[in-house]
Amino acid sequence: MSDMWLPPGEDPREQAEPPRGERAVVLGYLEHYRATFELKLAGLDAEQLARRSVPPSTMSLLGLLRHLAAVEHSWHRRVLDGGPEVLRLWGKAEHRDADFDGAEPTDTCVEEAWAAWRREVADARAQLDGDDFDRLVAVDGEEIEVRDVVVHLVEEYARHCGHADLLRECIDGRTGQ
Amino acid sequence: MNELEALRRWLDDLRASVERKAEGLDAAGLAARSVPPSTLSVLGLVRHLAQMEHHWFVRTLARQDEPQLYVPDGDWDAQFRDAVADEAVAVDAFDTWRAVRDRADAVLDRLEPADLEFTWDPDDRIGSVRDALQQVLYEYARHLGHLDLLREAVDGSTGE
Repeated sequence: MSDMWLPPGEDPREQAEPPRGERAVVLGYLEHYRATFELKLAGLDAEQLARRSVPPSTMSLLGLLRHLAAVEHSWHRRVLDGGPEVLRLWGKAEHRDADFDGAEPTDTCVEEAWAAWRREVADARAQLDGDDFDRLVAVDGEEIEVRDVVVHLVEEYARHCGHADLLRECIDGRTGQ
Repeated sequence: MNELEALRRWLDDLRASVERKAEGLDAAGLAARSVPPSTLSVLGLVRHLAQMEHHWFVRTLARQDEPQLYVPDGDWDAQFRDAVADEAVAVDAFDTWRAVRDRADAVLDRLEPADLEFTWDPDDRIGSVRDALQQVLYEYARHLGHLDLLREAVDGSTGE
């Protein structure tokens, strides 16, 4: 039996040609985990999305969606774009856990979160498209390569997909990669 | 830092994060199915990560014809199901995982940066050395997400 989330032929993550070369492989994984995360939230209502289903953790799927919008925002605007310290999403600068704590079980909160995530993903995609993996960028006073930023981003998505796996299983029993 | 050096540093960081997630737990804590209905446990995941590294580095990259670890007679559920609260089972899992990591590192020591391009199956999404290394990193990262919630449910501890 397959442990995949969707049957073969119905999975939007399937590709005709596997990517080759560092850029294509790493960016391919980034898109793979973004898509996986999106699938993990599919078919749930606002109450389910906001439910803290694995206590004592305060995480919820909606909190993760807001968090990942802020992660995308922070990496591409603050680090890759190299601009001055920009406003953090959800007021995170003032309240560090605002993304998780502000996840309310309302349709408005869910719609806002999706809109923010889609906007930040689109902006990050445009920023990374054509960026040089060897380029150095500053993070907290330290210089790192763009490849470090991208791999870090994929690792963060993959780790949050791990959270989403258990949060979702505790909501409706659904599992799968 | 070249791509291969960066990949190895990320791998070492992830392994160390897994070590920290397991640190200080006794056999009962390690084997606890602390997020039901999931059957995952910290111990089951350590066995799974040993199997996963062994598969990619020893069986696939080094082409060693060895059976999968913790998959007796094709029973894939055994790695999690048989991760029971027994000191000997826990010691075996960590010894096996560390031994696999040493063998994996020996395989990686022999690679040159250009070897990342080596492709054994152009049609497979994980058909090149680079794909396999990237796959291992993100498997670790996803399972660290499981470990975060499992560990917090065992004793409340959180962190990187």
